[in-house]
Amino acid sequence: MGRRRSFDEDEVVEAAAELFARRSYEGVSIDDLVKAVGVHRNSLYGVFGSKRGLYLAALRRHVEREVRPHLARAAREGQVPNWDLLLLAAVDRAPEDPDVAELVSSVFAELDVATGDPVATEVLLGRWLRGRPDRGVPAELDALETAPGKEEV
Amino acid sequence: MAVVSVQGQDLVVEMEGLDKLWALKSRLTIPLENVRGATVDPGIVGEPKGIRAPGTHLPKVITAGTFHHEGEKVFWAVRDAQKAVVVELADENYTRLVVEVDDPRAVVAMVEKATRR
Repeated sequence: MGRRRSFDEDEVVEAAAELFARRSYEGVSIDDLVKAVGVHRNSLYGVFGSKRGLYLAALRRHVEREVRPHLARAAREGQVPNWDLLLLAAVDRAPEDPDVAELVSSVFAELDVATGDPVATEVLLGRWLRGRPDRGVPAELDALETAPGKEEV
Repeated sequence: MAVVSVQGQDLVVEMEGLDKLWALKSRLTIPLENVRGATVDPGIVGEPKGIRAPGTHLPKVITAGTFHHEGEKVFWAVRDAQKAVVVELADENYTRLVVEVDDPRAVVAMVEKATRR
């Protein structure tokens, strides 16, 4: 993929969110991000300031677009949709980063409101964790990883 | 090698030993409010660096001094890419600093803690 100087910030944040949802924060390098989002390294630093800046933008976008609009549905259906980034953030980054901890806690509190019962939230999250090993790697992500130009360094 | 520390309301970057000579600079003091973030980034060493003025550039050995590239002014002091930290700045003479430090993760954590608002 060619690297662009001018770019759609939201597309970059979305692509970064996909990467951060699949790997621990420390496991995602700036090389990985530059390759995945297809923009210049200088531009990434210029717009987001740091890897953490891009991560926070990715997590906030995920919460706004993919989590908050689906809280009621998750509560009703008794299972969480694709919230891997949120749940990985809870485990991987919240203990290290107070801003991540605050965001994740507030989303869990909103989920309590949606389920009407913190215990129901715990069942929901527990069910996600319990089922996660069985879901494996989604086929399209598997393909992405091995696509030309996407090899690991 | 650079030593990065937080002193009061400033981030201070001090060059050690001969790096003072190569970089032609022994110390940079940046108000914390102008520090946008810090990132461990070994891969940045492979990027085009632009025109050096002044400083030292022996490709694959040492990159030190002030580099001008695509309208940005970047301060470099790196020998070992694995220990490179990128500090992004705002409203400063330099757009960013790329410096080698002893413990990159610890430096990033320190900068993040000091700049958290």
